[in-house]
Amino acid sequence: MMKKVAFLSATVAMLILSGCSSKEPAIDATANANGTSVGTKANGADSGAVIAPVSIANANDGANGANGANGSDGQLVSILFDYDKFDIRADMQDAMTKDALLVKGKSIKLEGNCDEFGSDEYNFALGLKRANAVKAALVNSGIGADSIAMSSLGESNPVCLEKTKECWQKNRRVDFKLP
Amino acid sequence: MKIILVFLTFIQFSWGADATLEVVKGVEGLSPLAIEDSSLQTSDLSRKFTQMLAADMNVVSLFNVNDSYAAVPFNSLSPSPLHQGAQYLLRYRLVDDGVGGIRADIKLLQNGNELFAKSYILKQSEMAVFLSHSIAYDINAKLGGSPIDWIKRKVLFVRLTSPKRSEIVVSDYTLSYQKVILTGGMYGFAKWANSEQSEVYYTSLLDFKPTIYKFGLQTGKKDKIISSDGMAVCSDVSEDSKRLLLTLAPNGQPDIYLYDLTSGAKTQITNYSGIDVNGQFMGDGSIAFVSNRLGYPNIFSTQMNSTAVSQLVYKGKNNSSLSSYKNFLVYKARENSATFAGNSFNLHLLSLNTGNVQRLTASGENDFPKFSFDGQAILYIKQEGSRSSIGVIRFGVNKSFIFPLKIGRIQSIDW
Repeated sequence: MMKKVAFLSATVAMLILSGCSSKEPAIDATANANGTSVGTKANGADSGAVIAPVSIANANDGANGANGANGSDGQLVSILFDYDKFDIRADMQDAMTKDALLVKGKSIKLEGNCDEFGSDEYNFALGLKRANAVKAALVNSGIGADSIAMSSLGESNPVCLEKTKECWQKNRRVDFKLP
Repeated sequence: MKIILVFLTFIQFSWGADATLEVVKGVEGLSPLAIEDSSLQTSDLSRKFTQMLAADMNVVSLFNVNDSYAAVPFNSLSPSPLHQGAQYLLRYRLVDDGVGGIRADIKLLQNGNELFAKSYILKQSEMAVFLSHSIAYDINAKLGGSPIDWIKRKVLFVRLTSPKRSEIVVSDYTLSYQKVILTGGMYGFAKWANSEQSEVYYTSLLDFKPTIYKFGLQTGKKDKIISSDGMAVCSDVSEDSKRLLLTLAPNGQPDIYLYDLTSGAKTQITNYSGIDVNGQFMGDGSIAFVSNRLGYPNIFSTQMNSTAVSQLVYKGKNNSSLSSYKNFLVYKARENSATFAGNSFNLHLLSLNTGNVQRLTASGENDFPKFSFDGQAILYIKQEGSRSSIGVIRFGVNKSFIFPLKIGRIQSIDW
């Protein structure tokens, strides 16, 4: 009986303490404790399911797949960006100058890309702003704005699939695509 | 006695009022339920059906579900020896109709007395998981549980299959039944176009300019809605299905536009030199959206005919991925200020009525939050280490449920 009283007291104390904190309902933790992690397994899903970056594991094999760590065509070099940024870094200026010379007189498509972080729509917008920054730099170098098309691919066209800082850096880029 | 004493704490959300504290019973206080297969000829499907029903009855949250399998005649007076302690018995009898469908008879017994009985016809047996969801819905309604109309709804998602390739998939809320409806291109941002879930909006990214299409599931008809340089996304569909909030980027500048489907009129809602995306219709007539106008992604709102913008969230330095229901918003927040360390993303609920923010998840990377059409639940994707799951948060019973997932990378999800 004493045990039950002690247990009840502890429960009440827990209620009071929890009631004071509206910050973290910790719904996840509760759900797991309740053992509600039950899959229906109707489609072969199993409890050991592992996320599959597998479906994009052959990044270099895709028909339009990225070309190694550099996703640009020909001798063109992709421009890399900092996390959540779309301004062209000082260490990318040389590459930018070289690319501007190579695309002079040609039509070009700029594809903005992102790492796997950030929301989908925001990430697409970030990719587009990166492409737009490269376009502005090309226009400043005397290339006609009309010869430059842009698209954003968000996180859907990675050149690197490992979960490392170096890999994410390679994916935050703008690729130059020739028609 | 022990059962009576055990309570768990939950924060109760109430849509009418605002978030208030209440205490509800945990699973230990619930009546035990067992599920029994009464099919005349048991099969792989009939055996799996116990697992499907057990998962759904867990989500119903009215019972402490025993998911052990047992075959028992439909009209047997006693339960299987495995289920002697079960106060409630849910028996089902599946009959193959010979043309790809099944007939299902079910009954719910309480201490041997029949509480509920119903027969169902399913034309395609591969959709058995929807039959299970319907049975759960009916039993929940019969017993007066918190509404779960969403359990019968279809989920729409875009799955990345290879670089610059994706497919659009329709599924049930656990993503166990999956049917690919569009493949062979690079699609993104699929949204249900109407409450009947018969049409879909999506962006084709391989067109010369990103283009939004409307696609009829039954008709297979594809109509072009609008295209834009750089970016064209259908972010939200109004309740009456007549207006869209789009992100378009003429001149490489992503802003939010209102698109009237009846007139074809396009109205620019935001005009900012950075990023404005993810517009959501709110119950008070305002539009919430994600913007980096303070130097990092955060949640703001504006009115239809005003240039004034209000900041809605004052916590966190990386808040994005919005979904709305009336005056409530759920958004994803990066918890740590370090660029990548920990990679913790949690979902938060914001009430426009009070300005209160409530954290909904505790750990891992939680993404793609999406309110159900009735605001009773939120669907989201959770990744923790190498494990990926789909989660459902039910506000009516203050619980969340996790289903394992093995489907590759998701680009967008709608419910």
